[in-house]
Amino acid sequence: MKRKCFVFLAFLFLSCDASQTDLQLIPATAAEVLDVIKNANANVVLVNVWATWCVPCVEEFPDIMAVYQQYKSRGLRVVFVSVDFEDQADDARAFLKTQGVDFPTYLKLSDDRAFINTLDPNWSGAMPATWIYDGEGEKRHFWIGKASREQLEKKIRDVLPH
Amino acid sequence: MRKLYSTLALALVAAMGLTMGLNAKADGSEPLALGSEAPAADLQMRGTDGAMYTLTDVRGEKGTLVIFSCNSCPWAVKWERRVASIGNAYRNKGFGVMVINPNDPARVSEDGFDEMVARADSLSYEFPYVADSTSRVARAFGASRTPEVFLFHADGRLVYRGAIDDNASDANAVEAAYLKDALDALLAGKAVSIPETKALGCSIKFNRDS
Repeated sequence: MKRKCFVFLAFLFLSCDASQTDLQLIPATAAEVLDVIKNANANVVLVNVWATWCVPCVEEFPDIMAVYQQYKSRGLRVVFVSVDFEDQADDARAFLKTQGVDFPTYLKLSDDRAFINTLDPNWSGAMPATWIYDGEGEKRHFWIGKASREQLEKKIRDVLPH
Repeated sequence: MRKLYSTLALALVAAMGLTMGLNAKADGSEPLALGSEAPAADLQMRGTDGAMYTLTDVRGEKGTLVIFSCNSCPWAVKWERRVASIGNAYRNKGFGVMVINPNDPARVSEDGFDEMVARADSLSYEFPYVADSTSRVARAFGASRTPEVFLFHADGRLVYRGAIDDNASDANAVEAAYLKDALDALLAGKAVSIPETKALGCSIKFNRDS
């Protein structure tokens, strides 16, 4: 049942204005997040793993949103994945609201080790962590730590089709 | 001496790489490979008791446990009582133990030295809690997050790196006690069955000036 719900929610993400769904934080395994990336139908997909308690994550969040607003018309999709603790999900939802996030985001399911290794075996688990995928679903950039708006733009422009 | 120069040169190269902007490993080079000896082992770090320590100083007859942790990361905080408990217990069993705070206190005030002293006191650490305020030791290890564990065999080889256990939130719900299992394996003279694990954690706030 859970799997069916996820597929349905992912379909909503891909097919309609997500703000109408009122679903901002969807529990997902790493495999399900990879499915979202694969089926994003975008020119560039930025994946950011964050948490409300992660100071640099919270600091860079507005820059990611600003870059999203700037480049979404050119095919940029952003996939936020919160790794907040279960009792902090409401905090995460409240934060997403303050940031004006109007598309579905995800909340880590499964244990850390499986989540990390499935999402990217090269990732140590340090946060924030950000990946840039191209329109073919190929990973093009990955880094840990906070990026500036200029750095984010540079990486996105590097992958956007000219 | 040649080995020391090599280690310092590697640390310098790693540090230069890290200052050259965002890249695939923006906040850490490759983690220390299993089988390696502890790098930067003769770099002195100030402990919360005021004394200066090197990794060589704390080397134990049964092995040496090095944990990069800090005051500020909520993930590290969730594990810190277990760090205290494991560190104190296995220090008494012949392991050298050191907890290293690699965060630049200029970037994270909560990781200032006075705050470290208070934390070590409140947790009753019986082992050094030292400040790697230049982040040089963390860079030499290729550490990227807090908390992150490196366990060395008595002969100096790295035999385990990764997480403390599989449940940061609830010590009573731990199903895989990776670090304790590795420590017990060394005590028993056996190979570590799971030599590498991962866990979520906070990226190290490296000192950008060193």
